[in-house]
Amino acid sequence: MELEFKDLTKKFAGFTAVNHINLVMANGVYGLLGVNGAGKTTLMRMLCTLLVPTSGTITYNGKNIFKMDGEYRKRLGYLPQEFGFYPEFTVQDYLMYIASIKGIRPVVARKRVKQLIDKVGLSKAAGKKMKKLSGGMKRRAGVAQAMLNDPEILVLDEPTAGLDPNERIRFRNLISELSEDRLVLLSTHIVSDIEYIANEIWLMKDGSLMHKGTVDEIINSMPERVWQCFVGREMVPEYMRQYKISNMKAEPQGVELRIIANEKPSENARSAEASLEDVFLYYFGEKAGEEDAVV
Amino acid sequence: MLWFEMKKVFCKFKNRMAVVLLLIILAAVSMLTMNRVEYVGSDGSHVSGILGARSLRAEKNKWKGEVTQDVLEAVVRENDAINRSPDSKSDKIEELNKAYAKKQGFSDIAELINSAFSEWRDYDYFAIDNISAEEAKSVYERRVSNLKQYLGSGEEAFTDSEKDYLIKKYEDLQTPFYYEYSDGWSALLQNISTFILMLALVIGFLVAGIFSGEFQTKADAIFFSSRLGRNRAVLAKMGAGFLIATVFYVVFVLLYTFIVLLALGADGANCPIQFDMWRSLYNITFFQAYLLIVTGGYVGTLFAATLSMLASAVTRSTATAIIVPFVVLCAFPFLSRVITLPGICSFFPDQLLEVYITIKDWVLVGLGGKVVDVVNVLIPVYAAVCLLLAPVLYKVYRKAQVA
Repeated sequence: MELEFKDLTKKFAGFTAVNHINLVMANGVYGLLGVNGAGKTTLMRMLCTLLVPTSGTITYNGKNIFKMDGEYRKRLGYLPQEFGFYPEFTVQDYLMYIASIKGIRPVVARKRVKQLIDKVGLSKAAGKKMKKLSGGMKRRAGVAQAMLNDPEILVLDEPTAGLDPNERIRFRNLISELSEDRLVLLSTHIVSDIEYIANEIWLMKDGSLMHKGTVDEIINSMPERVWQCFVGREMVPEYMRQYKISNMKAEPQGVELRIIANEKPSENARSAEASLEDVFLYYFGEKAGEEDAVV
Repeated sequence: MLWFEMKKVFCKFKNRMAVVLLLIILAAVSMLTMNRVEYVGSDGSHVSGILGARSLRAEKNKWKGEVTQDVLEAVVRENDAINRSPDSKSDKIEELNKAYAKKQGFSDIAELINSAFSEWRDYDYFAIDNISAEEAKSVYERRVSNLKQYLGSGEEAFTDSEKDYLIKKYEDLQTPFYYEYSDGWSALLQNISTFILMLALVIGFLVAGIFSGEFQTKADAIFFSSRLGRNRAVLAKMGAGFLIATVFYVVFVLLYTFIVLLALGADGANCPIQFDMWRSLYNITFFQAYLLIVTGGYVGTLFAATLSMLASAVTRSTATAIIVPFVVLCAFPFLSRVITLPGICSFFPDQLLEVYITIKDWVLVGLGGKVVDVVNVLIPVYAAVCLLLAPVLYKVYRKAQVA
């Protein structure tokens, strides 16, 4: 199975959301990393046939996915960033309905719904109305609906946004478990979410693909080094002006800074191993910390 | 899929409230309709509703049968006899009521005579008091001759072919009329248009969210990315909309009909509509008029529901979709009252819900050199428009993009 983006572009009135992207994907977990507004959701929505590209194509095994229509979508599972549902439906009803629009026969759907409800840990909430579920439970119902048709292609747009740390870890493990033998495209602006589970990471900025590769390849792509040093509190503003600071930790004897720079920033600075978070900060700069991003 | 689409509609609190409102409207309109039938007892007292209908039916069915010349003659004689009674000559209302009570049995036939012997644009309540029994025999002939006289007066603006059409329709009316108590049907037809209008508005409200709901709940992304999201799932939505419109229309119209006819009596279905609408050019019975009104109402309801669903799909706004049936069914008639739009108004979709009035009036249209009455054009034309809009609705929704 091969999915290919060929010169894919999407323009909205006045701006280009996705700019001439060329990519090939096979089975595995792909992490799409970028700040809010980078074009991740637009790219995913085109992949899910929700948006028609302005130019370029997306092919599945050489066939245009928009021409394949339902034949392509039957291979697809999608959890959108804003997971909408029918508030008055119970979890069971909701999943049965999604199964029906996925073309799954009722007899098969009943079995599959039960299996997935158990798998995502919603057995006790199966009869609860969707509107009564917690944020984490709703997301789990969202993953269950995406998995109903046992998709070859699983697209997860910001699946952990808004979840508490425990739920995020649970969720990450669930995605990892579900990613076997399929293509998973996971978009996030939370670096740690994909650091652990993605085989390949794509860095996206202003609609374009900046870098792609494994975690190590991405880290190695950063031309600057990472340093750690202690400085007095009064020096912090000065360091912030001069360098990119990927982390600050207040200690009794001062502030421990993690600095991205070519040269050693101070006498007491020691070289540190770069992480994906450092790379994210390096490429996305001050925007990386916007909104609810956790770097 | 269809089942879940229906469930989506009826699990919404506001939609369930709309159904409750419809039941309240049904009860209220049924009560008002039942109270239309009044009976005046021999002591001059008034009774309305079920009891009144029962007594009135017994009284009127004494005259059951064909309204032949002999019957017309007998009615005039009976009327004269009652007029000569002391009750009729009294100044007291109670006494006059007692006299009227004696005339109730043949009041419908007396009205035919009054209509036949009134000026064209007028109705003389006392015409029957001023004609002889012999003259009354000419009621049916006078219907046609009065028309010819009116058409020849130059007061109207009909073309020659329209005049010919009207005269032919009048001449084709089968006489003598069959008569029996028909107040149940009469009351039913008089209020059914109002009930159908309210029913159409509630149905428009119910179907308004079927298409926009996916966008408003943000369930659109999952819906359209599913295998059947751009084909059969859209058809299921359309199916749910048309099914709700049809089932609600049929069930509520039948409920209203059964309630009214059960209370007031279903006799008189085969009496000609001219007992109620003397000048109507429709040579049909009360039952046929009912079918015509109900069919027109159904097509009108379906048209409003289709437009509502289309607005829902195009604008993705339930509020806009709710407004559409109001505009189509309520604003158009208002428009026709404030602005003079001769001719065009007769083709507005609200006319489908006003078939009762159209049966009463003469609204003619030329079609391929032939003259036809407007109802016979409106119903098939709007039914065809609904059929044409269905694929448009399907295409609009299946092409929706989710940004």
